[in-house]
Amino acid sequence: MSAVGKLRDRLGGDVTGKPLKALAASGQLGYGLPEAALQEGLAREPDFIGCDMGSVDPGPYYLGAGEMATAPAMTEHDLREVLQGARRLDVPLLIGTAGTAGARPHLDKTLAMVRKIAKEDGLKFRLASIAADIPKDMVKQAARDGRMTKLGEMDVPDDAAVDATAHLVGQMGTEAFKRALDAEADVIIAGRACDTAVFSSVPHMLGYPMGPAMHMAKIIECTSISCTPGGRDAMLGTLEGESFVLESMNPDRHATPLSVAAHGLYEQADPFTVREPEGALHLNEIELEAIDHHRVRGRGARWETAAQLSVKLEGSTYVGERGILVAGACDPNFIAALDDITPALEQTVRDLLGDTVSPDFQLSFRVYGRDGVSLWPTPPTHPPHEVFIMGECIAATAAETKAILTTCKQYFLHYGFPGRLSTAGNLAFPFTPPEILTGPAYRFSVYHVMQVDELASLFPVTVEEI
Amino acid sequence: MKLTDVAKVIRSKNAGPLQITIDLMFEDRERYDTAAGSQSLSPASLAQLYGLRQDKVRVIPFPQALAIKLVFDRNIVAGDPGDKDVYGTQQHRLLLGVEL
Repeated sequence: MSAVGKLRDRLGGDVTGKPLKALAASGQLGYGLPEAALQEGLAREPDFIGCDMGSVDPGPYYLGAGEMATAPAMTEHDLREVLQGARRLDVPLLIGTAGTAGARPHLDKTLAMVRKIAKEDGLKFRLASIAADIPKDMVKQAARDGRMTKLGEMDVPDDAAVDATAHLVGQMGTEAFKRALDAEADVIIAGRACDTAVFSSVPHMLGYPMGPAMHMAKIIECTSISCTPGGRDAMLGTLEGESFVLESMNPDRHATPLSVAAHGLYEQADPFTVREPEGALHLNEIELEAIDHHRVRGRGARWETAAQLSVKLEGSTYVGERGILVAGACDPNFIAALDDITPALEQTVRDLLGDTVSPDFQLSFRVYGRDGVSLWPTPPTHPPHEVFIMGECIAATAAETKAILTTCKQYFLHYGFPGRLSTAGNLAFPFTPPEILTGPAYRFSVYHVMQVDELASLFPVTVEEI
Repeated sequence: MKLTDVAKVIRSKNAGPLQITIDLMFEDRERYDTAAGSQSLSPASLAQLYGLRQDKVRVIPFPQALAIKLVFDRNIVAGDPGDKDVYGTQQHRLLLGVEL
């Protein structure tokens, strides 16, 4: 019998008085798993294990390029830990947002690792994968039909913008995972997914109330970050029905009513409402009480099924080949003149390179020690003693980027400006060559909510026997 | 009194690539009330501090967690060419000087 089947046998039907134990093994699978807490979590014999494996946070590169942010060897190590744990206990393992960004290449790379580990370790199970790539024609039609909602300044993409995306994914919800569970999968590897869905789909399948289940999922998906002090150790959530209990598997990280309430703010623009494809979680009336110094019981979250299904979309578009130029300076006259120098320098570079490069390249400079970090204008402070200058170029090809940065380096080094005393050179290079190619560059081009009539066709489930 | 005299946490992070959220967290109700009642943390004052239009700023008091959430629309999408802070974790500094 499948792991899901056993779970249904044990907890299905009337769930009253049947606690459901969810182990959140990792909120960022692939960066290393704190071992002691994971083993403690497995020793508690959870009913299922969940992991989040990605996020939109690391920026548009990973989605666009189809690459993982995590190192392959470490990713494989973490996958092995949770696969072995789940198979040893014979409980479902659910992993969301495979391979950092959850598009087809990320899903495929993660699945390849899972198959390799299973083969090497002699593990046998039914594997379900859920793709999250959204057909471009569907997105274009939704835009034409006025079924795309803006989430900020970014305009609704036109046909050309949709076509230009390298990868375009939607965040799947509970519904997609539930179909994979219904297919009796022991291990579920999902593309881009709501973090909550990883932990709310098993309770949903078994008939637990969705409000508390989703609230618990929202907290434990980040593992012990909701504790004080926060950390990445495995977290156990025990769903009791209308209430749930939170407990870090690291005895030194304590869930307190305040730490858990504060976690509700984390990375959320709205602390009172969490929007999912199938509905919204309302947290206005939650109650959190300390059971002891280490554990918290929560209740009171309300789930509202949406009248209109929707999916949050993420798309990333290639913009060119990036390279950087790194240099330092401490001459006060040069630092004071920088804002006059850099535009003139760019013009010199454009004039010198002429038609040897495509003219639509971008060249910019960040001055660290002054204002290289702040997104909004900051009041001037005393002139810094030293600055770090990072030039950034994005051009059509790597060779052009290299040519632009190399020329820029030389003329920046020897740029003459009024009041210059240091006529032998303006820049201190920490090493040479100071111009470094960093690879393809991307930008987010879609971050919108798309209204849909049904979800199942967007997130197809594929099952294979391992 | 400065915000840093009463706040336990002043943290900034993206809430998706289009927004930055800054959480101000307090040890007790008294400190929370001091900050929550201050005009220095009104949308108008914060808009002025950050050089933003007022409709780009939201202030959400969250007394259950003794916290105040600020949400700003980013002036550049996270990770776009020209962005300076992809995760948005270093945009709290202007608040460190705020007098309540």
